[in-house]
Amino acid sequence: MSQDLEDRTRGLLDESTARLDGRTQSRLTQARHAALASLEQPVRRRWSLFVPAGAAAAAAVLAVVMWSGPQPGAEPNPVDDMEMLVDSDAPVFAEGDDLEFYEWAADEIES
Amino acid sequence: MTAFVTLAGVYNTPTFGGVRSRDQELMTSRALEQFLSSVEKRAFKIAQLGLRNDDDALDAVQDAMMKLVQSYASRRSEEWRPLFYRILANRILDMQRRRTVRGRIMAWLPARDSEDDEDFDPVAQAPSAEPTPARRLELDEAIGALEAAIAALPPRQQQAFLLRNFEGLDVSETAGAMGCSEGSVKTHYFRALETLRARLGDVI
Repeated sequence: MSQDLEDRTRGLLDESTARLDGRTQSRLTQARHAALASLEQPVRRRWSLFVPAGAAAAAAVLAVVMWSGPQPGAEPNPVDDMEMLVDSDAPVFAEGDDLEFYEWAADEIES
Repeated sequence: MTAFVTLAGVYNTPTFGGVRSRDQELMTSRALEQFLSSVEKRAFKIAQLGLRNDDDALDAVQDAMMKLVQSYASRRSEEWRPLFYRILANRILDMQRRRTVRGRIMAWLPARDSEDDEDFDPVAQAPSAEPTPARRLELDEAIGALEAAIAALPPRQQQAFLLRNFEGLDVSETAGAMGCSEGSVKTHYFRALETLRARLGDVI
């Protein structure tokens, strides 16, 4: 009984599908062709759109760093001098009577 | 169908480094075309019964075709059918829900002439002058009654019935297409069959 109903309904739906009008069939064919055309023009992944922009930004940052980097023969960095002054292991230049000795030594070298 | 499987088999061979040659792309395109042409009319009929509107049904089928080609062309060909019907079923449900919401909103607005009335063409709507044999008339009535009964089924019962009975998917494929368990498919299908038997009686 149930199988009869299933067979009968399937047969009627097949018959109904076979009767689809020409306009509908034509539009289905157009839809199929449009879908297949999209296969030849694959959608690019969204993140891939940012790859060229990222590369350009990285190149720009590199160019700025190279441009503003230390030049040959440039003045020494004042930060280095400051480090020497605050370093506990550095010689103490201005304590007690040794200051006069260092001034004399400097004069001797210049003369 | 045999030719489709053969072409798809060639397409599904592994690719070196993920790069497909032009020949393989051509194989994919041909296999997909054969697949889509083999399902498009049934897919339209399923969408038409679910949406009760030819234009909406065509939109749903085209969307499903497009989505399958763009997102799942590289899958094994055996997976295309359940995937296609899953996309289509989701699209139909989306459109049914949207229509329900729109109907609720429109119910609050003042009534106005439908746009359909403006496009009404009495010549196109007139019955054909061609004489209809008695058998054809009988068949027309049976198809009309069946389609009305199917269209009146709850959406999930309708899907289960059309995918299992009309499209011929097995229980597992239908469950995949509907995104539910095999037990749910059996329940929906059984209830749909019972409802159709009660409504149609001796009509078909």
